[in-house]
Amino acid sequence: MKKRGQGMATIMFGFGYGEGFPDHSIVSIEFEDESLLIRTAAADVGQGVLTVITQIAAEILKIDPDLIKISQGDTHLTKNSGSTSATRQTFFTGNAVKQAAEELLGKIYHYASLEFRSNHPELIVKDGHIFRHDDPENKLSYWQLAEIVSQKGEELKSEASFFPATDAPDAATGQADNVYVAYTFMTQKVEVEVDTVTGEVEVIEVNTAMDLGKAINPRNVEGQIEGGTVQGIGMALMEDQVIQNGITLNPDLTGYLVPTAMDSPHFKTSLIENEDADGPFGAKGVGEPSMIAAAPAVANAIHDAIGVRFYELPITPDKIKKALKDKIF
Amino acid sequence: MSKRIIGKDFKKVDARDKVTGKALYTRDIYFDDMLYMKVKRAPFPHAYLRKLNTDKAESLAGVVKIITAEDYPDLNKYGLIYKDQPVLIGIGEKMHYMGDPLAIVIAETEETAKRACELIEVEVEELEVVTDPLQALKKDAPVIHEELSGLLTDRLDKKLNPANILCDHYLEKGNVEEGFARADKIFEREYKTQHIDQLPLQSEAGVGLYDEDTGTVKIWAATQWLHDTQADVAQSLGLPKEKIRIIQPTIGGAFGKKEDISVHIHLALAILATKRPVKFSYTRKGSMITQSKRHPLIIRHKTGVANDGFLTAWQTEVIGDVGAYASSSPAVVHKGLYHCTGPYNVANVRGVSYAVYTNNTFTGAMRGFGTAQMAFSYDSQMDLMAAELGIDPAHFRLQNAYEIGSSTPNGQILTRSVNVRKTIKEVLAMTEGGK
Repeated sequence: MKKRGQGMATIMFGFGYGEGFPDHSIVSIEFEDESLLIRTAAADVGQGVLTVITQIAAEILKIDPDLIKISQGDTHLTKNSGSTSATRQTFFTGNAVKQAAEELLGKIYHYASLEFRSNHPELIVKDGHIFRHDDPENKLSYWQLAEIVSQKGEELKSEASFFPATDAPDAATGQADNVYVAYTFMTQKVEVEVDTVTGEVEVIEVNTAMDLGKAINPRNVEGQIEGGTVQGIGMALMEDQVIQNGITLNPDLTGYLVPTAMDSPHFKTSLIENEDADGPFGAKGVGEPSMIAAAPAVANAIHDAIGVRFYELPITPDKIKKALKDKIF
Repeated sequence: MSKRIIGKDFKKVDARDKVTGKALYTRDIYFDDMLYMKVKRAPFPHAYLRKLNTDKAESLAGVVKIITAEDYPDLNKYGLIYKDQPVLIGIGEKMHYMGDPLAIVIAETEETAKRACELIEVEVEELEVVTDPLQALKKDAPVIHEELSGLLTDRLDKKLNPANILCDHYLEKGNVEEGFARADKIFEREYKTQHIDQLPLQSEAGVGLYDEDTGTVKIWAATQWLHDTQADVAQSLGLPKEKIRIIQPTIGGAFGKKEDISVHIHLALAILATKRPVKFSYTRKGSMITQSKRHPLIIRHKTGVANDGFLTAWQTEVIGDVGAYASSSPAVVHKGLYHCTGPYNVANVRGVSYAVYTNNTFTGAMRGFGTAQMAFSYDSQMDLMAAELGIDPAHFRLQNAYEIGSSTPNGQILTRSVNVRKTIKEVLAMTEGGK
């Protein structure tokens, strides 16, 4: 018999290293040939930090994002951006890029105001150019301006470090004023179908609402939520690296089960954007929080479906069959 | 102010290169005259290395060099937070898990390097294997690391075996005794989670060469934190940071697995020893056995709630399986503890966490960093309490959820961007519409 159930989970995640560890990201921006070069060591593991910082720089500097290049991460050519971990890159490198872009924009206004014998309020930047509002035909591209600046023996470039402080928790009590830079919250409600004969669980539908401040790139966020949730479903239902007496018994993808696209449920996602956090444009990090509600939500839904609560992951078909057998005697 | 690009579904900047195959991943990088390497790993999870005979392996055609601990006696241990992981196990030294490295084999082809590894003869003195952190905590348990961890606090419970504990952390907020006294119902449950592999599509790989002009080892390897890896490789080899250059190829996924050192130090040694380009790729099997896992956590919650549905006290104990080496454990296990109540108001909280060594594959960073395991436990706990109290589970969560001014288990007062109640209401609105 197939039994359906619903379960929910609400989670929080304090992001950044926090706990008083020095945590920062350094970014620089310069003009190069026909493009704008952002130097960062931030690792894009597929989550999209390079896309996010391209959007941020293009937004602030009002240029075509296709003109933005990002340097390859290199310990000798890029400065420390911190790790791609702790859900921190949009917040840390995003803020550093925003600061560097704002500083560069300030310099563009400054040097252009000398050229145009004008002052900031009379200047307009648009599509990588700067001009006086009363004389839009007479414009300078950023690259032309960079050339003029370099002829003066100065440089049109910027560098910024985003380096917020946190507090180390007291060793005896774990108490401190500012342990993590911010917290992301998420609620998920899932519907599952449990096959009481085979013990298999299918996750049918996942409804998610995430409090993320601002989605710099909504589709990327949805991708994070869907990928993270499927990873959480793996944790809930199948993934298990079995190490017995120190020996890994299933060191391959035949013995180690992981969700495939076939296990992927139907998703409905709502992003709560109050633009009220300290990340760029009010954003908070989403990478890790997106995966952590799935396991409790699925476990709670299984309880709703068959009346059995599981305290050990993963909740495999064998465990479900055994539990149902024990329930009936 | 309306934005042109922020908040838009802007196409991923690296999508085209990835889809067309233009993106260069580590294994796509080749050099003329390139060598290949493999590492001979421990044959037993807990043992002293007594003999290592590389004669047969060295005589195999195509083998260029075999490196053992004898060749580099001054290497320093490495690790992300606490440096306890050896680069090579020497004669008379102890191996702590099946991934411990005994020898580096460099050959003209990958297949030759693999065959040479199989020809290395190893003699060990087997020790009792400890795979259960609960066993490791006992006073009479075999000691895994001879040296006591430098991270232990003086609060550590005297009944436990400090020899196998990497670190201990505590939470103490309000007064849990008073909180439990005010509770109408108290729930005590134990939760357990499993070892999980991060399973990025791309397993660990590195390629590198020696730059004669600058005397620099140049390594291309996907890594989540270039500068940290650079620093750890340099300190391990006793070289200035400037002499280790790490370049990021396109990354094929990570999920925490590419925070640790994997190929880097062994690859640097092979490059320094041969002064030729070398490539080192893990197989999936090698990746699963030798590199970090998600922590199995044992989580014990005792929670008090009043009949009106408000939480009065929350007490949590966490025991985390570190495996053989620290990796990110000094940060993961207590991060789980620090999230023990989830996003719910509890005035009185007490907690303790222990990160415990075993002879299992070491555990480290994985998406969620201790909080994924904790969420399974606290939100199962919330669900069963709601059921026992006869309160709708969504409303029970809503009633206890944080708002501006709430205090976390660490006592951090939340002053902005706390919209957790809105997420609950939003999900209810989304699902009620479909009923």
